[in-house]
Amino acid sequence: MSNANLIILLSTISTGLILGAIFSLVAVGVTIVYGSIWMPNAANGQFFLLAALFGWTMTVSWGLHPAIAAVLVIGLSVPLSYALEFVLIRRFYDVPNRNISYFVLSLGITQILAGIFAFTYGQWSDQFQLPPLIGGITFIGPLPVANNRLLVLVLALAILAALFALLRYHRYGRAIRAVFQNRDAAALRGVNVKASYSLSFALGNAVIFAGGILFALAYSFDLTIAWTMSITAFAIMIIGGPGSVLGAFIVGMVFGFTQAAVSTVASPTIAAFSYLGAMLLILLFKPSGLFAR
Amino acid sequence: MTRSLVCAAMISVAMLLSTGIGGAQEKPPVKIGFVTELTGAWTFFGTSCVAGLKFAEKQINTPGKRKIEFVIADNQTSPAQSVAAARSLDVQDKVLALSGPTSSDTGLAVYGYAEQNKVPFVVPVAAFPQLTKPGSRYTFRLEPDAVGWGYAISKFVEKQKPGGTIALIYSDYALMRAITAGLKYQAPLSGLKIVADIAFPQGSNDATVQAAQVLAATPDYVVVIGAGGFDNTITNQLLDLGIKPNQIIHPFGLTTQVMNWGKRSIGSYYGTFFDSNLDALTDEGKSFVEQFIAQYERPPSYGENFCYVTAHVIREVLDKNPEAADDREKFRDAMSALKTKETTSNIPIEFDKNGARKEYIYIMQITDIVGKAYKAKQTFYTEWDPEVIPVYTLVK
Repeated sequence: MSNANLIILLSTISTGLILGAIFSLVAVGVTIVYGSIWMPNAANGQFFLLAALFGWTMTVSWGLHPAIAAVLVIGLSVPLSYALEFVLIRRFYDVPNRNISYFVLSLGITQILAGIFAFTYGQWSDQFQLPPLIGGITFIGPLPVANNRLLVLVLALAILAALFALLRYHRYGRAIRAVFQNRDAAALRGVNVKASYSLSFALGNAVIFAGGILFALAYSFDLTIAWTMSITAFAIMIIGGPGSVLGAFIVGMVFGFTQAAVSTVASPTIAAFSYLGAMLLILLFKPSGLFAR
Repeated sequence: MTRSLVCAAMISVAMLLSTGIGGAQEKPPVKIGFVTELTGAWTFFGTSCVAGLKFAEKQINTPGKRKIEFVIADNQTSPAQSVAAARSLDVQDKVLALSGPTSSDTGLAVYGYAEQNKVPFVVPVAAFPQLTKPGSRYTFRLEPDAVGWGYAISKFVEKQKPGGTIALIYSDYALMRAITAGLKYQAPLSGLKIVADIAFPQGSNDATVQAAQVLAATPDYVVVIGAGGFDNTITNQLLDLGIKPNQIIHPFGLTTQVMNWGKRSIGSYYGTFFDSNLDALTDEGKSFVEQFIAQYERPPSYGENFCYVTAHVIREVLDKNPEAADDREKFRDAMSALKTKETTSNIPIEFDKNGARKEYIYIMQITDIVGKAYKAKQTFYTEWDPEVIPVYTLVK
């Protein structure tokens, strides 16, 4: 294999890993919220963008180190989520067919946030670029990779691993999973279902915020990223199986690789549609998703 | 009888006084409808344009001259909203002319309205060729068309490296398609070869693999035209993989873009139509740059300059043709006959039969970036006739 082809192959793998890890984070966040409170959160892309914009303000306007900004942004998601849950989300917990109500509600939140972003950040929409967490280049074979992007990949995978550990081994995580599986049975076993709802909403959004700030650390972005990410996260959740965290992770990684590979062998334009095509195909043969519970 | 005579005398005096006062009253301001992008995807360009316009508005409304008032309307970067705003400005505000769009999509929407309703339309910054397609009568554009930019980039590479190779990597927007169409048409005529041609759909966020493909094609120059923040992503990923800054050509560079490319892009080239580092700035141009930096803490770009110049052009037309201030047809005729120069750089302004301007471009090379300022040197300048290549058939 020539050096040029090896560079293309390695860049496809590295891109697939980074994009896949970020897609997985966002899709896992969306699926935690859906699995727990049945909220198909169409505003996930706006939350993702909000995190990126907060990061940009903190680093570029306030001069904070990007690592500090990243921690603050993820931390900020918790009070924001609890406030939103307290004011709006919990009012629908006992509404029949609440997933429809939630979907409409999240579309409203999407429109409001999009309007606010356009008015407040729109004039800088060609300038959203965060300083790197670390400088330097590492060579993987002949391929030079920015250390910053490698660190973003490591952080994304670490957050996903921590999340899986939380859901599997911690009592709060087990409570969330119990509510995922059967909320009535969980309630009979002493799980505080309403508190689990609140925790799931905050946890899911914190993971989406983590995805947003990590994405902003790895790539320049603009306001259109919200829409792209929203569609992608929904597609991953539907293919993976709504409510399946493992499905969201695996399909997210597959999406990242698919996008990188198709853009190499075909074109970036075809790559952008390839996963939507895959989603339609899978829905034809397995409407409940690949990893449906 | 006496009382009626007194009344008649009083009425006569009152009429005389009112006539006198009326004669001394200033004429109402000339309204220009300015439909631009204050929200939506193109906000950064629309708000910059308004910044340039505001500078000029203060200067052109000197005492003794009939006031020109720019009625600014937000088109939300939406063609439909642009038409609605244009209609409102035409029907409700009864503006003399329309202006303002900085995006080709919104510009084309206003163009349709203006040509159909015979409203003069002065386009400051929108580069899609069809805005001055043959048969256009009421539209006049200050910015050279984008197909021509591609032509000029080929000419630049031809001069730098005869027989050279070019890779194209760009977002799939109308503007980028127009630039690359001109470049692909002219490249073989200039003895150049296109070795990679990679388009990204709107909303793309990663270009690592494509940067590797560009590297594998070993071009002499890479023409990079990403949309918004994606432009930085492409640029950074090319540089990460070892493409040299002086291999990269950005067909257009706004001040904010140059800052975003950052220090690692020192040596890169960009096209522009006005730059604070130009050799040929007039005194007014230098003053505009200084005042702009004082207010916005960065130099103005060609976008701000075109909007600044647009206001001055309208002033000049009305000063030379006062009767055109209240008559759209006379204003159109006066614009069509205009022969002047940009007040900031002395570049000639005159329009052909379709309202397209005699075209030109500067190619600058970044030499330093310090804080919120940058230095660049002028490495190439060319002018051309708007139809030197078939601009209106290359891109529909």
